[in-house]
Amino acid sequence: MAKVSRRGFLFGGAAATGAIVASPLSAAAGFAAGSSDAATKAQLAGETAVLDRRAEFYGEHQNGIELELQACTSFVGLTLLPETDLAAAKRWFSLLTDDISRLTKGEPILADATPQLAIGPAGLTVTVGISPEFLNKLGLSRKAPPNFRQLPSFSIDKLREEFSGGDVLLHVSADDPVVLSHAVRSLTRDSAAFASVKYTQQGFANAQGVVPKGVRQRNLMGQVDGTANPEFGTEDFRQTVWIDSGPDWLVGGTMMVFRRIAMKLNTWDALGRVEKEQVIGRDLKVGAPLGKANELDRPDFEATDANGMLVIPEFAHIRRAHVPAAGERIFRRPFNYDQGVTSEGVPNVGLLWAAYQRDIESQFLPIQRRLEQFDLLNVWTSPIGSAVFAILPGVAEGQILGEKLFA
Amino acid sequence: MKKTVLAFAGAIALVAALSGCTNAASIGTDAHPEEMHVDNAWVRVSEFSDHAGGMTGVFAEIENHTNGDVTLVGGSAEIAGMVEIHEVVMADGAMAMQKKDGGIVIKPGEIVALEPGGLHVMLMGLKQPILEGDEITLTLDFDGAEDMTLTVPAKASFAGDETYVPEEK
Repeated sequence: MAKVSRRGFLFGGAAATGAIVASPLSAAAGFAAGSSDAATKAQLAGETAVLDRRAEFYGEHQNGIELELQACTSFVGLTLLPETDLAAAKRWFSLLTDDISRLTKGEPILADATPQLAIGPAGLTVTVGISPEFLNKLGLSRKAPPNFRQLPSFSIDKLREEFSGGDVLLHVSADDPVVLSHAVRSLTRDSAAFASVKYTQQGFANAQGVVPKGVRQRNLMGQVDGTANPEFGTEDFRQTVWIDSGPDWLVGGTMMVFRRIAMKLNTWDALGRVEKEQVIGRDLKVGAPLGKANELDRPDFEATDANGMLVIPEFAHIRRAHVPAAGERIFRRPFNYDQGVTSEGVPNVGLLWAAYQRDIESQFLPIQRRLEQFDLLNVWTSPIGSAVFAILPGVAEGQILGEKLFA
Repeated sequence: MKKTVLAFAGAIALVAALSGCTNAASIGTDAHPEEMHVDNAWVRVSEFSDHAGGMTGVFAEIENHTNGDVTLVGGSAEIAGMVEIHEVVMADGAMAMQKKDGGIVIKPGEIVALEPGGLHVMLMGLKQPILEGDEITLTLDFDGAEDMTLTVPAKASFAGDETYVPEEK
C-alpha cells in the first residue's frame, strides 16, 4: 500500500523550495538536492552505486543464500520467551516479514525510531531460520523433517554456549555497516516482545569493489575459500541446497549448519609457505590444488612426486573435505570474524562458517566426519560455536514467513 | 524512486496550483485522481493498549489525490468504543494530546503525517487488548472523499509518550 515514504515526503518539501531532486533511486537523492549539475549527479550515482544494489525479498526462496557475499554480516540467535506460544510466534513472524520487506528495499520499518538510517538497500538480506528446539517449544515437533537435530559432538569441538544454539536465527547481511546496524536494531527491537537475543555474531567479507565478482574470497589464514561450491542458478545448486520434498512448510527452504571456527593464527603463521600448502593441499598464491596451475583445476589425489610421495598429502584439508559422491555436496558461504588482538598479541579471529544443504545427515556429516578423523588443519582451527537451523522458504507478497508452519 | 517522484510531483503540483500557471494533473503520475492514499499505517502497542478499556494511537501518512480539500474528521473500529482525531500540544510545560476540533484538513496534493508526538487517530475504549503483531481494522471518515477502511499492524514504539488531556465536560 506504500505510495510515499516519510523520506519522500521530506524531499517533497525540499522540492517545493526550488531544489531539483535528482534521479538516483535512493536517499542519495537527498545529498544531490542542492545541485542541478549533471556531472555531479553522474558522479554521485557512481559514488553511491553500492547503496542501490538490491536483493529481492519475495520469491520461492529467502534471499541471503544464493548470492555473492556481502561485506558485513550479523548472525543473531534468539531464544523464545517462556510466554511465547504458537499464536505469539506467528504475530512475531508477521512483524519480521513486514520489516524485512521494507528494509530490503532500503525503506524504514513501520514505527522506525531512526528512519534517517534507511538510506538505501545496500544489498541487505535477512534470512530467517528456526531450530529443532523452536519446534519442540511450540509443540510442532510432529512437523519436524527427518534428522532435524543439533550436530553430534566431534572430538575437535570446543563449543561455547554463548556462540551456539538459539531457537531462531536472523542472518542479516549488507554491503554497508550502518545499513546493517539499522536493520539489526530494527529487527531485534520488533523481536523483544517474543524472544531474547542469545548472541550477535558479527563478521565480514571483502568490500564491494575490491574483488571481482565470482572470485572466491580468502579467509584470514590466507586460503582461498569456497572453490568447490556449486554455481548460482544451476541445477547443481538447486539439488544441493533447495529442499523440494518433505514437510510442506520447508519446501523451498534449506538446512543450515552454522559453525564459529576459531583460528590459531600465531602458530599457523609459524609454519612456512610450503608447510601451509601441504596442510591445505593448495598453492596459497593462486589457490590451485598442489600439482595444478589454476584454482578451478580438479585436484589429482593420486599424483605422486619424484620420491613417490603423494603431491596432496593424506592429511591435507582438501583431500579430507573432498566429496567423492555427488549426493554429499554442500554450499559454503563463510564470513570472517575479527574481535581484535589480545594484550598478549593473539588475534581473536576465525570464520562464521555457514553451509547449506538439503539434508545435514547425508551431505554435511560425512564430510565433517572425515575432517574430524584426519585433517591436519584441526591443529590450527577449533569449532567454538555450533547451531543447526531450518531456513524457511521464501514468501510471496501478502504471505508471512513460516506461514505453513503456523497453519 | 517512484515514491520520491510522487512526493516531488505533489509538491510541484501544489506550487503550480498556487501560481496558477499549469495543469497540476499533467505533472503527476496520478492514476486515481479521486482517491485518498494512506501509507505506512500502524497502531501502537503500549501498556495503555494491553487491556480492555485501554486506548492507543494509529499513525499513517495520508495523501490527498483529489482536486479539493479533504478533512479527516474521525473514524470507527470494531475494536474501539470511540475513535477521535487528536493533536499533541504544549500544556503546562509538557506535551499533551487532545481532540483536534474540526479534524485535519488535507489540501490537494498534500501529505499529512500522523506520527507519535503529533497528529494521530485515537482509539479509545478498547474492547480487547491489542498485542504486538496483531492486525486491526479501522475506517477513516473523510469529508470531501470516500471513507477508507484499512487493516494495520500493531507495533511497539518508544516515541511519543504524551499525557492525555481529557476534554472538559
